[in-house]
Amino acid sequence: MKDPYGVLGVVRTATPDDIRKAYRRLAKKLHPDLNPGDKQAEARFKDVTAANDLLSDPEKRQKFDSGESDASGTERPRQQYYKDFASGGAGAGSPYENSSGFADFADGEDLFAELFRRQAGQTRRTRGADLQYRLVISFLDAVNGATQRLTLPDGGSLDVTIPAGIQEGQTLRLRGKGAPSRGEGEAGDVLVEISITPHRFFVRQDDDIHIELPIALSEAVLGARVKTPTPTGAVMLTVPKGSNTGTILRLKGKGVARRGGAGDELVKLKVMLPSEPNAELETFLSTWAGGVGDDPRKDMVS
Amino acid sequence: MIITTVDFLARAQVDRETLEVWIEEEWLVPSETTPERAFTEADLARAKLIRDLMDDLGVNAEGVGVVLNLVDQVHGLRNVLAEVLTSARER
Repeated sequence: MKDPYGVLGVVRTATPDDIRKAYRRLAKKLHPDLNPGDKQAEARFKDVTAANDLLSDPEKRQKFDSGESDASGTERPRQQYYKDFASGGAGAGSPYENSSGFADFADGEDLFAELFRRQAGQTRRTRGADLQYRLVISFLDAVNGATQRLTLPDGGSLDVTIPAGIQEGQTLRLRGKGAPSRGEGEAGDVLVEISITPHRFFVRQDDDIHIELPIALSEAVLGARVKTPTPTGAVMLTVPKGSNTGTILRLKGKGVARRGGAGDELVKLKVMLPSEPNAELETFLSTWAGGVGDDPRKDMVS
Repeated sequence: MIITTVDFLARAQVDRETLEVWIEEEWLVPSETTPERAFTEADLARAKLIRDLMDDLGVNAEGVGVVLNLVDQVHGLRNVLAEVLTSARER
């Protein structure tokens, strides 16, 4: 607890009249209703009031001076101030609200003039508030498009049509689905921010889809037709003879839809050895003359 | 919450004659409902402000009207400023 003499800025020998004057001087400056919005002034005013309560009462002051009591417990329960009712929209429609202080601003045609006019209690043609929601959708819904039902906090629901190819963080605007106007204006909009969960093996880059596709050693060496997933379902992909890990094959038009076409799916091959050691393969490789003298690291180590 | 005159006098710690003057001066504007006036919590807080001004701050009767008028203008401006800022952020 702060020293009440220090809070009021008076000496310990101050007369009751000094204390009253000091309190009045500070209260004029710090009263919360004369400083709406100033939290610091409000906190200081509380201290000043508590100090005054203690020092203006001869009995309490005497006990404090003699050390019988300390300065704690003298704070009054927080009084509610007028400003708490007059600001933050609570004052709207109150008989005290006074708009004469800005009536001269309301003559123009711009946004501010409109706001001032509105506050002055004239036309109430304001549209309702926009409501913001977030919707998490799957990777495939984002690529292919979908309709999702959004459950609203008030228990209602809203069907959101997600256009194919929507991107992370994009916002959909549903016109007129927001809060109704408080006057005769139109309703606000609902804004839905889209968030996309990542896919297990598809990765999107702009309009293209990237995927890493494992193929067997024999498929790589001999070539093959392999089933490859795309966002719209599996297709057969021709792996040319002698394909290596890192080879990229392009599936035209299997990417994300965009105006006038679609991106591609880029399939990066990954050659896999048999999952179990294979004696036949080992025997073959140890007698395979073609494998000798082929150094894949020749670019790295001289 | 509506406050009756009797409750209002007790909670605001003013006497009936004083209250009549405050209403006469339009420092307080309760709703004139029948059978009796109805006060709000805002009216009560405002009455406490008037008492603070007169008892603690040494403002005289003439000054209270001036202070209240300016306080009402400050709140009008604060509210419209808050709305302007909200709108500016939305755009």
